[in-house]
Amino acid sequence: MFDFPIFEMPTIGLRMLMAINAIIHVFVSHGGAVGGSVVLALAAWWTNKRGDTAGYETVYRLLMVFFILSTSIGALTGIGMWIHANIISPNAIGGLIRVFFWKWFIEWIVFNFEVILLLFWFMTWKQKETTLKGRTSSVRFGIWYAISSWVTMLIITAILGFMLTPNFDGQPWVDPEVYPGNVNYNNALFNPTWFPGLLMRTFSSIAFAAALAIMWTWLITAFSKDEEIRNTKERLIKFFATIMMVTVPVAAAFGYYYLLQIPEAARAMIPTAMMTRAFADKMDLMYLIISGIGGAVVITTIIAYFSPKRMPYIAATLMVAAFMLFWGYEERTREFIRKPYLIYHYMYANGIRVTDVPYLNKVGILKHAVFVDEKDKVINEDKSNLVKVGHTIARIECRACHTENGINGLKALTAGWSEAAIRNRINNLPGGGTPYMPPFVGTEAEKEALAAYLATLNKRGEIK
Amino acid sequence: MNWKLPFDIPLVIPTMGLPGWFFDTLGVIVFVVHIAFIYTLIGASTASVLYNITGVFKKSKTDDVLAYKMTNPTTISENMGALWGVAPLLVISVLYTGFFYTAILKVSPHILHIIYGNIFAFLLSYAYKFSWHALHRHKGFHIAIGLVAVLTFYTLPPVFMSMSNLYLQPETFATVQTIWDIMLTPLTGFRLINFFLTAFSFTGIVMIYLGVKWIKAGGEDAEAGRLAVDQGKKWFMWAAPVNIAVLPLVFFAFSPRFSEAYIHTPFVFLPFAASAVLTILFFFLLKRFGDEEMNLGDATKALVLMVAAVALMATARHGIRVVSFEEPLKLQAEATEKYMTDVIAEYKAYKEEMKNAPAVVLDPAVSLADSKGCLACHSIDAPLVGPSYKEIAAKGQSAETLTASLKNGSTGKWGETPMPPQTLTDEEAKTLVVWVLKQK
Repeated sequence: MFDFPIFEMPTIGLRMLMAINAIIHVFVSHGGAVGGSVVLALAAWWTNKRGDTAGYETVYRLLMVFFILSTSIGALTGIGMWIHANIISPNAIGGLIRVFFWKWFIEWIVFNFEVILLLFWFMTWKQKETTLKGRTSSVRFGIWYAISSWVTMLIITAILGFMLTPNFDGQPWVDPEVYPGNVNYNNALFNPTWFPGLLMRTFSSIAFAAALAIMWTWLITAFSKDEEIRNTKERLIKFFATIMMVTVPVAAAFGYYYLLQIPEAARAMIPTAMMTRAFADKMDLMYLIISGIGGAVVITTIIAYFSPKRMPYIAATLMVAAFMLFWGYEERTREFIRKPYLIYHYMYANGIRVTDVPYLNKVGILKHAVFVDEKDKVINEDKSNLVKVGHTIARIECRACHTENGINGLKALTAGWSEAAIRNRINNLPGGGTPYMPPFVGTEAEKEALAAYLATLNKRGEIK
Repeated sequence: MNWKLPFDIPLVIPTMGLPGWFFDTLGVIVFVVHIAFIYTLIGASTASVLYNITGVFKKSKTDDVLAYKMTNPTTISENMGALWGVAPLLVISVLYTGFFYTAILKVSPHILHIIYGNIFAFLLSYAYKFSWHALHRHKGFHIAIGLVAVLTFYTLPPVFMSMSNLYLQPETFATVQTIWDIMLTPLTGFRLINFFLTAFSFTGIVMIYLGVKWIKAGGEDAEAGRLAVDQGKKWFMWAAPVNIAVLPLVFFAFSPRFSEAYIHTPFVFLPFAASAVLTILFFFLLKRFGDEEMNLGDATKALVLMVAAVALMATARHGIRVVSFEEPLKLQAEATEKYMTDVIAEYKAYKEEMKNAPAVVLDPAVSLADSKGCLACHSIDAPLVGPSYKEIAAKGQSAETLTASLKNGSTGKWGETPMPPQTLTDEEAKTLVVWVLKQK
């Protein structure tokens, strides 16, 4: 946004920088922590109830893998989401924290329970496994860990839902004509996509965790020197596959329910979100992707359920890979369909609030750009700094999604365009061609500067 | 002064009617817990590698046991340290949003090291811990893993402290351009010396406390416990004296605007008080230096004194915010109010204008052309990426040719730039072609 310092990520762009962290976080937090806690607590309870000592030991080894992943990569990329959001859109995350401070604070308290219970469960497992009483208390730690993990997801999905559908039952969460903004916290919290999103995430996380558990059970049992541990493969994979048989259809049903709750305009953007603009019209390709991922999950689940002993490793990895693709697509789509907004109808993807637009169109985007050099703010009489000013505007308004010459690069997107063509394009950015783009904000002179800058991108190095 | 400050977030701060001192106290308490774990993390991970090395060279089983036992406080403190780091940042980012985020942006992308560097160190420290028995015969390799983890942990405080020093002094926003401009300053240097010395003295006390517990538990661990008590005293007594001297100086290494104001507040006594507590603790341990064992009461007293010193330092640190932010917060609030008043007035005028504006009746063909994205590349009378509709109409092509160009795309008629194929129904294509041909 224009009033914060400008940080650009060259080549990969800010979107990709955020995506790397976000996708890793979703893999580990959904598969490792939220789903993993439920699946492993169930497995510990089940093996202990049956007096299956070897199975109980395999579950401990699985827990070690999940413990390492969740506490290091999972927890830190979670904090990373916040730091990345700071870098990319300080106004958006600053606004979200003002709206959701207490919910985040409660989440942090629950997060304490989650981490402490996990530490206890894992670090006292070995001391407690010798007696039945010890094992029962250990399993109880696991169950409470699973519950607290899920509660953290409960809270964070409210914030995700808010960004897409911030108004409860059509009631606005804030009056844009009042300063300071009088937030209606209940409308913000009980937004229409909170529960659909939560239910979809809960069951697909459990299914994903079961798939991860199958893959790791395969590895742990295959490489164990202990005959008894090796023999646990069949019954544990069957157990995890049973969990998948239940959760996969439920997750799919809730996924459809979630889809029905999102705004019409956002739903229309799903093809572009999934397949990029170049393939946005190829609906058959989209269905191919969806049925490919869904089919891979269903088929591997059936193999795991009916033939757990002979299940090949390649099927177990395919199962996990399908889930990773699913989460990758889900996150990309969810982020994309919110465009051109970051917080629906309140803030555009580049951090400019909808309310700001008329004023900034009048005085210019650069007038209040605090961290921009004074000499780059106003176009000189002789227009000698026109391109420089245009570049500054691009850094403010375009950098959230575009790089200069990397991913989604402005240079490639305007190749072969005349300056007049670019200028015309800037006039109707959110039009039919690119409904996901926010409008240009600023004065006519600034628009001219931006067009002049963009026109130079493909002219560099040319002999005049 | 050349202030460069962003606007405040134009939403109310959700205090729920709680007074300012509530958030101040909350911020200090969560910070003390966080920093206590971080001190332990830095010290315990160092201790584990150190006694692993001495165990090899002295061929001492006790050193090796102590080294292994120190991996548990490492695991706990790295998890809890990261977790309790979130709460202070949450409080800061809701109260001082603009300053905190500006500082983060100014030290980007290096600030991401506290995420990715931390993950790397975390994973290595787990590898070090869980491979202890498996790598028993490969001590060199094992120690190398631990050492890389510890050194990576050491790289995190300089990055984080640079951010912290920047946000605590908003007057530097105008001059600091990269992380090095703030990291390579005497202030960051002083604070890092203070940080590492406190970390080592704090860990010394933690080792004494844990050692006493292990001795009490008896068995195999008692020997390691005695070593921990003995070494813990030495850690504290090596690290504390310099810290006692450096600690009060830190607060004079800030910018002159701040230091001159800080001296006139009661906060200025707190660093001296922290030094005094550390001095008392120093003599307390000196008196018990010869004792091979300490009782639990004395170990607890030492721990309480150490935490008290840290709490005094944290409160002195909170004083930095109180003194430093008074002026910039006021300036920021004034600027934001003025900006938002103008914004809202203009927004209301715009809405009024829209309400009174006559409804534009668009040709349905124009709406269709817009919704299909045609107008991104074509306009009625000026050539853009593609030719203008007037030019197309003037060329005198048949409706069939144009329909084919629309649906299948075309190139070469107007230059090299291709027109991509469009997804249209026959009806839509017809509407568009009829409309284009009318534009002569």
